[in-house]
Amino acid sequence: MAKVTFITEDGNKVMANDAVGNLMEVARENDVEGILGACGGCCSCGTCHVRVHPDWLEKTGKASEAEQDLFDIEEGTDERSRLSCQVEMSDSLDGIVVEVAPF
Amino acid sequence: MLSIELLTGPKVSRVWKLVSISLCNRFRTNILDSYLLGGLFTFMPDIKDSFQEARNNSGIQVTEFNGEKIPFVLGLKDIRKTLKDWQNFSSDHPFKIVPHSEDELRSMRQIPIEMDPPEHTDFRALVEPFFNRPTEPDYMEDMSRLINSMITDIITGREVEVVNEFALPLQCRALARLLKVPESEADQWMEWGMHALTEGSGLEQYTAEQFARAEKQPEDNFFSMLNKAELNGVKLTFEEKQGIANVTFAGGKDTVINVVSSIIVYFAEHPEDLIFLKEDERYIMTACEEFVRYVSPLTAITRTCPHATQVAGHNVPAASRVGLCWPSANRDESVFEEPEKVILDRMPNPHLGFGFGIHNCLGAPQARLIIRSLLRALCEQVKSIELISFEPRIENEESFTRQVGYDRVVVKIS
Repeated sequence: MAKVTFITEDGNKVMANDAVGNLMEVARENDVEGILGACGGCCSCGTCHVRVHPDWLEKTGKASEAEQDLFDIEEGTDERSRLSCQVEMSDSLDGIVVEVAPF
Repeated sequence: MLSIELLTGPKVSRVWKLVSISLCNRFRTNILDSYLLGGLFTFMPDIKDSFQEARNNSGIQVTEFNGEKIPFVLGLKDIRKTLKDWQNFSSDHPFKIVPHSEDELRSMRQIPIEMDPPEHTDFRALVEPFFNRPTEPDYMEDMSRLINSMITDIITGREVEVVNEFALPLQCRALARLLKVPESEADQWMEWGMHALTEGSGLEQYTAEQFARAEKQPEDNFFSMLNKAELNGVKLTFEEKQGIANVTFAGGKDTVINVVSSIIVYFAEHPEDLIFLKEDERYIMTACEEFVRYVSPLTAITRTCPHATQVAGHNVPAASRVGLCWPSANRDESVFEEPEKVILDRMPNPHLGFGFGIHNCLGAPQARLIIRSLLRALCEQVKSIELISFEPRIENEESFTRQVGYDRVVVKIS
């Protein structure tokens, strides 16, 4: 089953095993600090921002237009930025590492 | 619900000139035609997008409130940019956070909505944990029990008036849970009707009494929390506590009631969508956001420009206000495909129904929990909803007219 490592703002690592659903849901299930996912995962609230580790960017893909619209006006975003609710877990993402980065 | 510290709605019917169908001559024909023609357009009838033309032409619609011209920003992306730029679009203008001034309706600044950073940041951080409690499992279970029991009570096969007999008590009883006060307090809030903020001192007197009572006999509730609270080692002033309490009661009342009532009407007209909703738990989340987007019960929040600036390419003089028009953003064709359709699994759905940024709706966790719990309860318990009659709630301003919900909805639920 797929594993995810979240690195929180204070540097703590939270490992999630058997990750299913999207990354925001995985983070919420594992009480990852800094990921709220208030809107339930429809790209509305912007409370689940992460930066994908460079090694995994190709597999996750870049931000969608809806995500990019948010990132364009937020500080602290870059080409690695994603809303974790928009990244669906799959076997191909087994081992992925993301940094939690609230706006 | 708004940028918005709470779903601060058009609070006073006298001020916002909300008129029922029988008084709304200008639109009466359209609404009645829709109703009589088989109810095809009963759910949010054809006053659908008052801002569409202006949004697509100039991005701005100049509106007028009590002689003051206020340009409403209409495009979603322009509104987001405006929300971010609090230095040029300030919230620090007491009584002016909504287009109609509220200086005759309250005596103090609402907090934290009528503040800018860094003051805003401190107050928001102080109260936010209390308002985030609806994300806790125990709280969610309690809300689910409440709403399930209220749905059970109205599944009688007999006529029930949804706005006053279901949505209003639901909002009030849910608020009692949020504030951790006895549910009996909700009886008084129900008597205030759709709007907590009305002329006279009712709300302010009530909250002042609650702070005094909590001072004498501290309890684990909202009022005692604020009595104990300190910022930078200093206790809050009476006026600051009143300002927080004021927006807590005034915001999120009519807006939540309007969304709840609209959901009942929608499923009466679209029973197939209730069946669809039962298919996947994730639809509860997406449907919640879609109803908030579609209903957009709050029309606008304003900002004041301390300096001359530009918004959406238009010049704005110093000291003037601009409006952030949520329903227009939420119908923006450049963002939403088929914005006039309710799509319960819409994804992505970057609506601004709860505002965005530092002033995003403080009551959003509560509003979302109410809506999600309602949707689950409808899925679990309701077979059919028969719409008997309704009166849309129309906001009729000098510069626009739009439906924000319902004044009255009679249904039979089985």
